[in-house]
Amino acid sequence: MVRWERVKVIIGKEWLELRRSRGLLAGMLLPPLLLPLFTLGLIFAMGIVSDPDTADIPAAAVDPTLANLSLEALAQVIFGRQFSVLFLLLPMIIPNVLASYSIVGEKNRRTLEPLLAAPITVSELLVGKVLAAIIPGILLTWLCATIFAIGLVLVVVDPVVPTLVFQPGWLIMLIFASPLLAAISVALTVMISSRVNDPRSAQQIAGVLIVPVMLLFFGQMLGLFVLDVIVGLNFSLLLLLLTVGLIWIAARVFQREEILTRWR
Amino acid sequence: MNAIECHQLSRRFRSVIAVDQLDLCIPIGTIFGFLGPNGAGKTTTVRMLCALIAPSTGSARVAGFDIQTEAEAVRANTGILTETPGLYDALSAIENLVFFARLYGLSRDQATERATFYLRLFELWERRNEPVGGFSKGMRQKLAIARALLHDPAVLFLDEPTSGLDPAAARAVRDLIKSLRASGRTIFLTTHNLAEADELCDLIAVFRTRLISLDTPANLRTRLFGRGVRVMLAGPAAPLVATVQALPFVIDVTADEQTLFIRLTDPEHDNPVLVRTLVNAGADIRYLEPFTPSLETVYLELMQEGSAIGK
Repeated sequence: MVRWERVKVIIGKEWLELRRSRGLLAGMLLPPLLLPLFTLGLIFAMGIVSDPDTADIPAAAVDPTLANLSLEALAQVIFGRQFSVLFLLLPMIIPNVLASYSIVGEKNRRTLEPLLAAPITVSELLVGKVLAAIIPGILLTWLCATIFAIGLVLVVVDPVVPTLVFQPGWLIMLIFASPLLAAISVALTVMISSRVNDPRSAQQIAGVLIVPVMLLFFGQMLGLFVLDVIVGLNFSLLLLLLTVGLIWIAARVFQREEILTRWR
Repeated sequence: MNAIECHQLSRRFRSVIAVDQLDLCIPIGTIFGFLGPNGAGKTTTVRMLCALIAPSTGSARVAGFDIQTEAEAVRANTGILTETPGLYDALSAIENLVFFARLYGLSRDQATERATFYLRLFELWERRNEPVGGFSKGMRQKLAIARALLHDPAVLFLDEPTSGLDPAAARAVRDLIKSLRASGRTIFLTTHNLAEADELCDLIAVFRTRLISLDTPANLRTRLFGRGVRVMLAGPAAPLVATVQALPFVIDVTADEQTLFIRLTDPEHDNPVLVRTLVNAGADIRYLEPFTPSLETVYLELMQEGSAIGK
């Protein structure tokens, strides 16, 4: 059974370290906050410069709800949908950065042994580290998505654009899949941490995580599917299964014996 | 009652045996020196006794708890100073201590109180709010020792506790270790500083994968070298070697310029005869004193014996 008092102590220490590491904090906060601004700027530009080829983009052709839009509004919807998918990268990137510094960093500084000598279970330690990495990632993702949603209302050429950009599937993904993507990211980082000695290596290897989101990005752009409720739910279910599997493996890697005798 | 009991404790890493059938009984309130060369399996032993890794075979109880079935209780009742201090550089000294104290189940107030006590004790109070990353090696070592003591453990495992400390700080740590023994705690000391082990330890184990020898420092000396006297003369010592060697109670005699080193079975009984014999042989004796080989000499001799047995 996990004792939440101990978990809170771990989380508190992780966040205290994060606050003290200004470089890491800036690296974690700036790119996510720039993403909505960059995306809104692009969508605003789409509303000014119309391109007749926009209607030929497969993503526009497959969705009948876009049929009666002006070229500018259509461009804004298409780009809005595409770039809104990129917000799903945030719950993977931010926890990955935090978890790699937290776990590989402890390994490098050789602080794991005193920590493991304390009367806490490895589950408590792992849960503490996972939550300390996941919570900022999810909150920052939702904050950026909210900035994007509010900003979108201000930059669109047609009031119908936001309702078409924010597809139910995207909202489902944002609410349900974000925590799962974050958990997958951290689980993978834990697994990688046992084999690397540099947080950046852990981050680079975990870069494979962006593949599912890029599949969504390009799949939607090519008109292979629209991110509706069914796609959103199916994708979330798939992620749930992946999360369970990876956390199971990560929990096996993250054992006292394993860390002290096999981690290089 | 014993603070630490091991029975046939062994640990194997694939084909390599790190610890082989270790039997130990360390009474409560003992400073126990665990000596051995690098790679002897000392760290593995400490990790097993702190319930960090499991033994391959055998069993052990630490502070009354079984290291396998009551691992968390073992960890709650032991403190460990690892080879490297392992502190969080971005956190201040007091933040490091409060964090660990809270992991050991202390409330925030208790944790702060204990941290304050040890920071004052180790003269780190003035720098309590500074990031540990800027601390000297000695300061870090003191902070790591404080961390090991925060939860008032019954058994303390210290790996090279005075490494990197200046002489005054090292003296303070040694005095602290003695005071911990006086308060009934058991200290398991791993060190290569044999003078320190000699000064502090009640019991010493010489270990290389297997236990080579376990006894008090005095008994180790006697077992290996017998008891001896050093005789300082006014003239050359070499001409007297044969005369001394002829005495029935003399085990061994060596000469070094104006000094004779004589090993005897019972100096209190034999010294009067020895002195009379030397005087009769024309020796001018300046003084005579008990001769005690250093622990380093004992250790090296035991390691040599251990190697011979291993072969």
